[in-house]
Amino acid sequence: MKKEDTVMLISAEGFEFVIDKKAAMVSQTIRNMLTSPGGFSETEHGKVTFPEISTTILEKICQYFYWSLQYASGKETEFHIEPELTLELMMAANYLHT
Amino acid sequence: MEPLLERMCIDAATESADAVDKWRRQRRTLQRMPSHLAEALLRRLLQRRLLYPSLLEVFKYTVEDVDLSGESFVDAEWMAYLGAFHYLNSLILADCHKINNAALWYITGMPTLKEMDLSRCSKITDAGIQHLLSLPALEKLRISETGVTADGVIILASLSHLLLLDLGGLPVTDSALNSLQTLTKLQGLDLWGSEVSNESVTTLKMFRNLSFLNLAWTKVTMLPYLPSLTCLNMSRCTISSLFEGEGQKPRLEKVNFSGATIHNTSEAFKYVETSRLSLLDISNSALQSYSFLSSMNAMTNLDLSDSGLVDDGSVEHIARIGATLKKLNLSDTKVSVEGINALAGNVPNLETLLLSGTPIDDTAIHFLSMMPALKVINLSRTHVKGLMQLGGAHDEVPSFSALESLSHLETLDLELLHIKDLALRPLANMSRLSHLTLRSVSLTNESLYHISSAKKLVHLGLRDTVVTDTGLEAFAPPPALEILDLRGCWLLSKEFVSRFCQMHPQLEVRHDLFETLYKRKEHSTPSRATTRTPKGKNKQGSSSAPPQYFVVDQRLKYSREELLSLRISLSLSLVPFLNGPTK
Repeated sequence: MKKEDTVMLISAEGFEFVIDKKAAMVSQTIRNMLTSPGGFSETEHGKVTFPEISTTILEKICQYFYWSLQYASGKETEFHIEPELTLELMMAANYLHT
Repeated sequence: MEPLLERMCIDAATESADAVDKWRRQRRTLQRMPSHLAEALLRRLLQRRLLYPSLLEVFKYTVEDVDLSGESFVDAEWMAYLGAFHYLNSLILADCHKINNAALWYITGMPTLKEMDLSRCSKITDAGIQHLLSLPALEKLRISETGVTADGVIILASLSHLLLLDLGGLPVTDSALNSLQTLTKLQGLDLWGSEVSNESVTTLKMFRNLSFLNLAWTKVTMLPYLPSLTCLNMSRCTISSLFEGEGQKPRLEKVNFSGATIHNTSEAFKYVETSRLSLLDISNSALQSYSFLSSMNAMTNLDLSDSGLVDDGSVEHIARIGATLKKLNLSDTKVSVEGINALAGNVPNLETLLLSGTPIDDTAIHFLSMMPALKVINLSRTHVKGLMQLGGAHDEVPSFSALESLSHLETLDLELLHIKDLALRPLANMSRLSHLTLRSVSLTNESLYHISSAKKLVHLGLRDTVVTDTGLEAFAPPPALEILDLRGCWLLSKEFVSRFCQMHPQLEVRHDLFETLYKRKEHSTPSRATTRTPKGKNKQGSSSAPPQYFVVDQRLKYSREELLSLRISLSLSLVPFLNGPTK
C-alpha cells in the first residue's frame, strides 16, 4: 500500500493506527483536516494526533470506519458496541463528526 | 441529525437496564460530556422507560434542558434530584400530574433556571407560586390550567424578568391583571379563558414589548394601542374596536378571530395595519362582508371555514390577495364552482386547498388543475363524483384526470364522496401522490387495482369500502406504502387480513379486527422504533436510505404469535415500573 493512501491516527497514549485514507474520511473532521488547503501539518504528513481519545476508543473508531465503508457498500452486518465504551465513543464520535 | 456512530452509541447505551449499569459509574466521563449529548442520552432513557430519579444524578453537571412533559410518574423525588442540577436552564413539566406544591420546593432559588412549564399540573396552587418567586432568572413561566387563583397571579408581579407568561384557563381578574403592571419586559401573555374585561386591558399598554397576546374566550371587546403586537388571538370574543385612539397602527402578522363576533368589520380593522398580516383565522365567525381582505397583501394562510356567509362573492376578495396565498381553508362554506373558477389563475403559490363540505362538483376539478403549486387538496363531503359525461356522449370520463397536470400534488382527501372505482383510474399518473384517503361504500376491489399503480403512495386510507378477501390477496402494495387503513371494510375476514400482514410485514395495517394489537403493542414493548417519539412524527421508518442497523422495527423480527407472547411477558416485567420506580 502506498504511503499517500494511508493515514496515521495517534491516540492520547501515543499508539499509532495506520489506516486507509478512504476509511478515515468517514469522519467529517478528519476529512476536513486532510483536504483543507490551509497547509495543516496533518495534510502534509498524513498524521493526526488525538490527545483526547484513548487507545481503546481510537481502535474502536478505526473499526467503525471500516464497518461504515462496508455498510455503505450494502453489506449489512451489526457493529457491536460494548456498553462500557458507549459514553467515550459517543464523545469521540461527536468530535470526529461521524 | 446526529452522525450515525453517535446515534449507535446512544442506542447501545440505552439498550437495557444492564447496559446503563455498565456506564453509570463513569463519573468523570459523564461530567465532561457536551450538554447536547447528555440531553440526547437523557431523552432516550426517558423514551425507553429506563430513567429513574437517582439516575438523574449522573447528568447534574451537564444537562441544561429537561423535558418531562406528560410523564405521569414524575414526582417530588424526581424534583429533588433535578434541584441539584448545576446548570438547569429549562424545566418542562407540563401534564406531570404528580407534581404538587411541595415538589416545587426543591427547585427554589435555582440561579440558572430561566424557563418553567407547569401547564396542567392541577395540584399546583397559590402556595406553589411562592416557591417560584425565588427563581431570580425566570423568564418564561407557563402555569395554564393549574389550580392557581387570582391571588396567586397577583404575587407573580415580583418576577420582573418575565418575558413570557402563560396564564391560560386561570381565573385572572381585572385587579390581578392590573397588579402585573410591573412586568414591563413581557413579550408574550396568554390570558385565554380568564375573567379579564375591558376594565383592565389598558394595563396591557404598560407592556411596551408585548408581541404575543391571547385573549380568547374572554369578555374583552376592545384593545388599546399596543405598539409591538404581532400575534393576536381573540377567538370567541366579541370584538368592537381594536387599537383605537392614538392614530398609530400595530403591524399584526398572525391573527386568530375564529368564532369571534365582529359586528362591524371595517370599524374593527380600521386601526389595524394589515399589510404584514400573513395568517388570519376567521373560521366559524359570522361576518357580513369580506371586502376588508382585499388590502391584506402578505396573506399566506387564510382560514374562512365553517362560515355559512362565505360564498362565491367573498372569493372575489380572496382572489385579489391570491398571489401570496399558500394555504386556504374554505371547508363548510357556500363556495361553489363559480368561486373556484374565480380563484383559478389568481393563486400561483397556493399549496393547500381545503374544500371539504362545500357544494362543488366535478366541474370544479378542471379549475383546480389551474393552481400549479397545489400539494394538498381536500374534496371530502362534496358533490364530486369523479366521473363526468362529455358532451352528449354516454361515455363517462374520470374527472380527476385534470389533476394529473399538478406535478406537486402529494395529498388527496376524497372521503365520503359518491365515487366509483373507475374514477380512480387517473391516480396512477399522479407522480408524487403520497397520501390518499378514500371512504365510500361504492368502492370495490377494482379500486385496489387502480391504486396499486400509484408508485409513491405512503399512506392509503380505504375505509368503509367493500373490498373483499380476494381483492386484498391480489393487491400488490406500492413499494413505499407504510400505512394501509382498512377500517370499516366489513367484508374482509380476519384470516385474510392477518395473512396479508404477514406477506407485507413492512406495512402498518389498520382494521377493526386488527388495530387493537398494534395499539397495545406500542404501549407495552419498549422497542426502538415503536416507543414514543415525543417531538414530531416518528419518521425513522421512512427516512431515505435508512441505516438498517438502527431503524429495524422490532415488529419485523417476530411473528405475530411471538409478539403476543412477548407482550405478556413484558407487561409482567414492567409492573415494577408502573408502580413507580424503585431506586
